[in-house]
Parts: sequence; structure tokens; C-alpha cells
Amino acid sequence: MIGGAFGVTLANARTGDEAAFACIFHDVQPALLRYLRVITAEPEDVAGETWIQVVTGLRRFRGGEQDFRAWLFAIARNRAADAGRSRHRRPVVPLDMTEAAQHPTAADAADQALEAVSTQATMELIKSLPREQAEIIMLRVVAGLDAGDVAKIVGKTPGAVRVAAHRGLRRLAGQVEQAGVTL
Amino acid sequence: MHGEMPGFFPGRPGGEHDEPLLDMILERRPIPPGASPEFHGLARMLAAVAGPAEPGDLAGQDAAHAAFTRLASRPGTSHAALRSARRSLSERPARGRLPLAAALAVAAAGLGSTAAAFAGVLPSPIQHFAHETIGAPPPPHVASPRPLTVASSPMPRHPRPSDTGSRQPVASPDPVSDKTHRGPLSAHGRKGHGAVPVRATCVPALGEDRGWAVGDTQNPPWPSPVPSQLKPGVTQSPTPSGPSQNRASPGSLPFPWPLPLATKGCPAGTTPYQETHASGR
Repeated sequence: MIGGAFGVTLANARTGDEAAFACIFHDVQPALLRYLRVITAEPEDVAGETWIQVVTGLRRFRGGEQDFRAWLFAIARNRAADAGRSRHRRPVVPLDMTEAAQHPTAADAADQALEAVSTQATMELIKSLPREQAEIIMLRVVAGLDAGDVAKIVGKTPGAVRVAAHRGLRRLAGQVEQAGVTL
Repeated sequence: MHGEMPGFFPGRPGGEHDEPLLDMILERRPIPPGASPEFHGLARMLAAVAGPAEPGDLAGQDAAHAAFTRLASRPGTSHAALRSARRSLSERPARGRLPLAAALAVAAAGLGSTAAAFAGVLPSPIQHFAHETIGAPPPPHVASPRPLTVASSPMPRHPRPSDTGSRQPVASPDPVSDKTHRGPLSAHGRKGHGAVPVRATCVPALGEDRGWAVGDTQNPPWPSPVPSQLKPGVTQSPTPSGPSQNRASPGSLPFPWPLPLATKGCPAGTTPYQETHASGR
């Protein structure tokens, strides 16, 4: 998070300051990619489309850093949905993906988490959750959005978001307990 | 089932009492040391996911910078604007076609109506309206019952049943003749105009603007002939004493010139239909 300097940084980015835009990009892109890796199979492409839309709408955006992140992640979610629809229209399923789909994802992700404590392994563990819980956890924890913003993005009430996040976390904690490993 | 929703079963580990702890994990706040180990592990996992960027987390930076340089540095230029402009350009012909077609249709209708009004081929009420508004010729049925001056027609006429014989009204297959016999002109005739010709028409005399000559009902408003085309022996009646006086006798004028027209039938400054209109009121 950029913090108090976000307003100035955003204003400079609006005027075409590339350094200011790079600052914003470096701050948001890791969380954006990690979020997109959970909800879409084409995270890099969707992230690129998201940034293009962010850049084009940068002059019209009004709000603080939290609003900016909520706006950006909402764009990313919509772009991911578009990419998913497009992928369904012309399905391309690699052979290795087909083979991987035949194995239970959760067990596989849990095994990976046991083997190595890494961001990637944790991402796989989160991906083993139901899609809604995984997405909400990523938006709450990785994107740093509060329950209200997440509720607007996913189209649910804040209470429903909170319940889904709690269920997802309990499930993750159960997997960690099952593995018998304290990470 | 219980494993799916542990929060709904308070007696089991991880029941509803853990919600504050879960909220702390979600908000990335440090959890109390007394929390169960799995929650500590979970908190560490999520902190790693939300941690600093790793190699590969900044993928697409060059493309994003290029997009920023291309789009954001140019004021007023954006994908949305370009897309919108493209869309509006593609829709402009379709949007502009309807008003243009409507305008053309209205213009064509107006010009056509005006031309038809000046040609005198509109229905009587409309022709009368056009006469009063734009100075078009009056409808035929309000033509003057004044003495019918006839002028010779430069165009030969084919014989019609009504042209032959004693000029008695006979059933004619000609819709024009039928119309004239049925129209309000007959009422005019019954109202004291005498035997008004069924269709009196003024035709412009040669070289005159509004030199309408009154012709016979059966005669269409042919253009006035040149003087050399005027036939001698044409009888002209100064008084409206009936159709038979308005035309040459069948024997005096050889067919196809049964109804010669006067080249200057309408008095100067007045037109027959104007007088008729006045007299009809």
C-alpha cells in the first residue's frame, strides 16, 4: 500500500508521469496477479487487459487508495469473466490439464503445502477451496479490501462475504491441521 | 458435512468462537499467541501470499507501461473514447439515414403535391386548398359558369361516346367523365347556374400567364394552340345558355375538333374560377 502519498502519486500518474504510474503498478500488480491466478487460467493476459482499462479510465477515477484498489480489482474480475466466456466459446484443453483434472485438487494442493512453504503452494491450497470462498479470501487478504468493497465486487452482502471468508479460512485451517504441520 | 461447515457446530473445534480470530487473520492483524497452531500456520500462509512481490509477480510491466505511455500521456485519447468514436462512426450512417430519408420523403411529397396542385390533378378539396394557399389553379368544379370560351386544341382527340351525337350525358366508361357528371359541379348547375358545363377548364392562352380559357367538360386542358391552328367557324357564346351553345354544332366543326377553345377566354385580371367561387357562396 502506498499510503498517504497515494493521492499525489495518482495525480502525477494522471498527468502522464510514468514514475508515478510505475509506483502504482509495483504496488498493485503482485496482488492482482495472485488474485487472478486463483480465478482465471490466463492471469497475465487478464492483468494486461485490466491495466489497459485502468490507464484509460485513470483520468476519470475519483477516490482514495482503497477505492482505487477496489476499482482495479473489480475491473480485473470483469475481465476475467470475459476471458472465461471467451474461453468457453472456443475451448482449448491441453493434455496435461486434462490429466491434472482427474486428480483431486485439494489433496494435491495440500501435499504441495506440506512439501514447501511458499507463496505458490499456499496459492494452490487456496485454489482448492470453493471458487467463491477462494476469491473472497484473496480479495480480503491479498488485495486488502474490506468486506464492504468485496461485497460490491462479488455482488453479495457484507455478511455473506464474511461468512464465506470464515468458512474458507476454517477449511484451510483444517487442511493444515490434517497435514499435521505447523507452517 | 461437519467438516464442510465447522462454524455451524459450536461443539466442534473451530466453532463460532473463532470468528474474531478469523477476522484478525483476514485483516492481517497479529493473532494472540494462545490461538491454536493451525491458525498460526494459516496466518503465516496468508501473510506469505499477501507479502512482497516475487519474481514473476511483475509480469506485464512493460506492456502496462507501454499502454500508459500510449494512452495516458495523450489527453482526450482513450480506448473507451476510441471505441466509442468507432462505434458512433459505425452507427452514424444508420442513425443519419432515417432523418435524411424522412426529410427527402417530405421534400418529395411537398414538391410532388405542389406540382400536382399546379397541374390541377388533385382531388377537389385538396385542389381548392392548394388554390387558396399557394395560388394553384382551382378545382374544376368551381370553374366559372361564365360564358364558355373555347379555343382550338392543337391535339387531335379521339372520338368518345360523349363527344358524338347530341352531347347528351351518357354513361361513359371514362372515369373522368363519370366523375365530372357525378361531382359537385352538377349541384352547382342545379343551383341556378343553368346548364353549366360538366367540367369547365381554363387553359392558358399562348403567351399569357394565367390566361385560362374555359373549355368543355370533355376537353382536357390542352395547351393553347398557336393562332394558325385556330379553326375558323368556331362559335362562341357570350352567355351561358347551356352546353350546347358552348360548343360548335356537330356539323359545323369536323371531328376531331369538336370544341375549339378561345385563346383569350378569361377576362384580364379575373379568372373564371374566381368568379364562380364568388358566385357560389
